[in-house]
Amino acid sequence: MRSDGDVRRGAPLTLLVDGQAVAAFEGETIATAMLARDLLAFRLDRGGRPRGLFCNMGVCGECLVTVAHGSASPRRLRACLTPAADGMIVTTRPDERR
Amino acid sequence: MNDDARPDYDLAVVGAGPAGQAACLALPDGPRIVVIDEQLRPGGQILRQPPRAFSVRGWLEGAEYRRLKARLAAFESLESVEWLGGCSVLGAREAGEGWRLALSDGGGVREVTARRILIATGCYDMAVPLPGWTLPGAMSAGGVQAFVKSQMLAPGHRIAFAGSHPLQLLAADQLRKAGGTVAAVAFSQPFRRFVLKALGRPWTALTNLPRLMSVLLMGWRLRAAGVPIHFGRAPTAVEGRDRVQGLRLEDGAVVACDAAAFCFGFLPQSDLPRAMGLAVRPARPGGWKACHDAWMRASRPGAYVAGETTGVKGADAAAAEGALAGLAVAVDMGVLPLREAVRRAAPVRRARARALRFAALLEAVADPGPLPDRDLPADTIVCRCEDVTMGDLRAALAIGADAGGVKLATRCGMGVCQGRNCEHGLLALLGGVSTEPHGFTPRFPARPIRIGDLLAED
Ligand SMILES: Cc1cc2nc3c(=O)[nH]c(=O)nc-3n(C[C@H](O)[C@H](O)[C@H](O)COP(=O)(O)OP(=O)(O)OC[C@H]3O[C@@H](n4cnc5c(N)ncnc54)[C@H](O)[C@@H]3O)c2cc1C
Ligand code: FES
Repeated sequence: MRSDGDVRRGAPLTLLVDGQAVAAFEGETIATAMLARDLLAFRLDRGGRPRGLFCNMGVCGECLVTVAHGSASPRRLRACLTPAADGMIVTTRPDERR
Repeated sequence: MNDDARPDYDLAVVGAGPAGQAACLALPDGPRIVVIDEQLRPGGQILRQPPRAFSVRGWLEGAEYRRLKARLAAFESLESVEWLGGCSVLGAREAGEGWRLALSDGGGVREVTARRILIATGCYDMAVPLPGWTLPGAMSAGGVQAFVKSQMLAPGHRIAFAGSHPLQLLAADQLRKAGGTVAAVAFSQPFRRFVLKALGRPWTALTNLPRLMSVLLMGWRLRAAGVPIHFGRAPTAVEGRDRVQGLRLEDGAVVACDAAAFCFGFLPQSDLPRAMGLAVRPARPGGWKACHDAWMRASRPGAYVAGETTGVKGADAAAAEGALAGLAVAVDMGVLPLREAVRRAAPVRRARARALRFAALLEAVADPGPLPDRDLPADTIVCRCEDVTMGDLRAALAIGADAGGVKLATRCGMGVCQGRNCEHGLLALLGGVSTEPHGFTPRFPARPIRIGDLLAED
């Protein structure tokens, strides 16, 4: 839930998460955009179970997602550190080679 | 650049929390300083700033934050500092007359060199394995707090807090003020343990009365808002199918919630110091703290450590250590006479000693007890990255492996977190530790990157 009140967020933007359009604001991380949309699974584990993020500070690696933006080739990035950008394509379920 | 050329910087500071900021502020003008942090903006964990694109009125109010924010503002206006935000330090090695750092900003890997390096990387929430703790919605309390502080997001509709560290009251209070709903706050230890531990250090408790009162006040505020606060009820499981639906407590009661936040204390960030070959010692409640002399010099030439990398101790002690490290760098560079550094350090040392006394009290109060619970069901995941369960670990331990052997046999600690989540738990299962070689051998890189980026480097 985004808190309202004393905050003005950046410009609205849209990213694609597993093919789904997700609305977010400039300044938000990919993780924030996903949680605000109730998308809690950042990957599947070996048993096929959905897994969420844990530390939100870059140390656990649980939020690694595949991110494609513009012409750059897709990268595995930590969603809790990476700002969302308009037109970004995020995939939570690539092949599980990490 | 070859190893003999002049380094890019006189000093590289890793981490822009209170320790890293204070170091830069203590240095006289002149040295070429680079400050590197994987967060986009400086502040560290206690002041995780909202992004520049946000404007937030009344961000983190109160006297304690005011001092921290004043230091941060002073740091941000330093012209002598080059800021590399959004950039992870993957490792550092000795090269010629200094250190060579490998950096990644998500786009690829590059290197910078510095004559001296200060590791001020802080700490992180200690992960404590529980049945169901890998369900989406189960997070560290610090992580929940960071969403509230820097993203203005409540990462759930009803969030239950559980653990042994009083900081969870602060996190819950901030969440509630931001419009989130706190389902409950559950402490593992009985209330009388807080009182007894505080009475065990009467002078420290008395001199920190305002602080202790502010914690009680948070508890009262939460209660007044209808939030149940439990004592002596440890969390035993996270319930749910594909996501968190409840948090089970010791007496079997289940708190209905869609997110759970755990707060059992903090571990020093030790991967960079260990990979750099710097001496570390066991920390409490777990992990490794970097060793240093009275001027925060680490065990290798040109390396300094400050803040919670050297043990969890709070922002004031972290800042004091950063200032000492800054003065030491100035002395070692020959830009500040030792006598002047000693004079400037005196009040800083007094502030550090005061803060350390309070940190010791907090550490005693927040003691999480044995980790992880040996009675955990066999299918409980301990190593989150590699899905290694308690049962897998028991089987490996039964054949008498040490930490390295268990890692090879089970893959525990081989994943992207480099053991940050599981090493302390495994070592606790192995029956405690006394010296560094018992832990995992630290590996490059300290943060996840693409193998191709490393190949491209060579
Ligand atoms: C999630 C969290 C929340 C906390 N909230 C509070 C609070 O509300 N109140 C309180 O009193 N204390 C809090 N603490 C404790 C608090 O961290 C310390 O009191 C204080 O911030 C420590 O200062 P420091 O300078 O040592 O480290 P930090 O403030 O933690 O700063 C370290 C910095 O180093 C960066 N870093 C670490 N590793 C790397 C790397 N490899 N590459 C690049 N950058 C790196 C981090 O991004 C971070 O910004 C919190 C701790 C955590 C982990
Ligand atoms: S949530 Fe732990 S690295 Fe992002």
